[in-house]
Amino acid sequence: MTALSQPTAPIDYMDPRHQRATQFLVEEAHLLDTSQFEAWLELLDPGIRYRMPVRVTAMKGADEAELSTMHHFDEDLYSLRKRVERFQTDTAWTEDPQSRLRHHVSNVRTFVRSEDELVVESAVLLYRSRGDRTAPSMLSAGRTDVLVATVDGLNLRTRDIVIDESVLRTQNLAIFL
Amino acid sequence: MQAVTASVRRGLIPAYVYNDAQIYELERDRVFSRAWTFLAHESEIPGPDDFVVRHILDDSFLVTRDQDRRIHVMFNMCVHRGMQVCRAEKGTAKTFRCPYHAWTFKNDGTLAGLPFHVDAYGGDEGFVKEGQALLSAPSVAIRNGMIFASLDPDAPDFDTWLGDFAFYLDFYTAQSPAGMEFRGPQRWRVEANWKIGAENFMGDSYHTPQTHASVVDIRLFGEPKPNKRKEGVLWHAGPGGGTTYKLPTGAGFRSGLGYVGYPDMMIDRMAEVWSPAQQALAGESGFMPSAATLFPNLSFVHNWPQVDADGLIAPFISVRLWQPIGPGETEVHSWFAVAADAPEDFKAASYKAYLMCFGSSGMFEQDDVENWVSITTTARGSMARRLLLNNRMGLNHDGEPIIDQYEGFGAPGTAYQGYGEHNQRHWFSLWADLISQPAPEMEAIAFGVREEQS
Repeated sequence: MTALSQPTAPIDYMDPRHQRATQFLVEEAHLLDTSQFEAWLELLDPGIRYRMPVRVTAMKGADEAELSTMHHFDEDLYSLRKRVERFQTDTAWTEDPQSRLRHHVSNVRTFVRSEDELVVESAVLLYRSRGDRTAPSMLSAGRTDVLVATVDGLNLRTRDIVIDESVLRTQNLAIFL
Repeated sequence: MQAVTASVRRGLIPAYVYNDAQIYELERDRVFSRAWTFLAHESEIPGPDDFVVRHILDDSFLVTRDQDRRIHVMFNMCVHRGMQVCRAEKGTAKTFRCPYHAWTFKNDGTLAGLPFHVDAYGGDEGFVKEGQALLSAPSVAIRNGMIFASLDPDAPDFDTWLGDFAFYLDFYTAQSPAGMEFRGPQRWRVEANWKIGAENFMGDSYHTPQTHASVVDIRLFGEPKPNKRKEGVLWHAGPGGGTTYKLPTGAGFRSGLGYVGYPDMMIDRMAEVWSPAQQALAGESGFMPSAATLFPNLSFVHNWPQVDADGLIAPFISVRLWQPIGPGETEVHSWFAVAADAPEDFKAASYKAYLMCFGSSGMFEQDDVENWVSITTTARGSMARRLLLNNRMGLNHDGEPIIDQYEGFGAPGTAYQGYGEHNQRHWFSLWADLISQPAPEMEAIAFGVREEQS
């Protein structure tokens, strides 16, 4: 997991802050599974950083298990908004017909960083089925999110995604994790 | 095979060549056994003892930089019993110790350790240890920091083979006396035949307004509007070819490069490294390089999208390898490349431009791959064996070009303005040249035995 300074133990699973964080992630997954991308953008802090570095197969103990200078995603609000705008055109061929998506979210651990900031770790498994000729693909990843409390509920300020493959087995990342 | 090569030379491609086991075997034995193939850029192994592992089809190669900073390309297979001596894809190591029996090789390939040499072999009486090393790649060449290898020990001289493509290669990979920095690669597998990407980047300006309509619609990149795209020149030179956009700025080296977003100090550096003729390409003729391919499977792309809400335009370069995995599967390796001494704010904007447009998540690339997977899937069937795909754009029925070559391009090779499949036919003629020759004969090499035994 990405090294964010955080307490070593998560807060209790019965803690309402953990419950709210978990609900945020599940509701977010619902928006992504049902192509409600505008609503998804509303969950993002204007200063969002959304990153997924390239993982590499490194020798045990080597410093570099992921590339520091190459990502699959290194996004801000502008680039995420452009990706969403593209899905809303009539010419984003790769998602027409659309993929059948299911984001399975689990292993949620919540850490309190400050009064209005939670650090939330989760696992996500994205099942993606396209067309009727090709086998479905899966993407498994860990995520470390910073969620901030706003008057409208929690917002996503940073997301660091640790993808569990060095060579992706899906034809493109016309998806969000 | 003769029927296939004759057909592709006429501009008619038997559709099944995009997904056929026999064609793939011939490509392995006849194309990739000879062709110069890109492995890595020197900037990926910047320091002493750095290494990466790269492949030419199923052959795994260690690309290392030794203590004296010399570069080596070695077959990643222990000469004793065949284990991979390195199973990481990158890192830093002075030696590689085989996990199987602990034979140890220095990062220049030399055999440094062989456990129980005397006990097990009777010393040099049974195995001559001196002078043994991992098998070297048969031929290696470095150009603009790019490391190429050929499996053919009698491969043509790299620079001779590269010919006039070198003129254009510099545009993408020699933008400063400080050289380039390659980042990546992103790697992902697509269920597409490797040839399709190579041909597409070589000359398919015709697909851009349709396949990539969405990036124009969202105002990410404005150039590919249909009427604008067809003003570009398609060129082929030596073993490659590419596409250009005609700039609205007209003639002018500085104004053209400035229009696509290069800061003055980078243009100054380009002026230092590029010949007057190379400068004239983006200058007097007013054409800006976009996609290109170097046969067989290395492509380049240069576009200049808008990277923020304030309208900042930033150009980027990607270098990509279409690594064949099988007749219907390709592993894409996609690097971001930038002048090593470019200002940090330019690097950041250019990197963002790359990620938004190309690579595993890129908004251009997403739609390209959708096409290529669909073609490959459909090419597997019986009907595809009957269909000859039309690759004749720009020719009349007599096989003559419908327009004259473009005068005033000012760069080497053959150039046509407007849409056409001249470059894709050129790519297929290179493919046909190699695939109709028998595979090179390889001498087997024995290790540790006296000469009279080998």
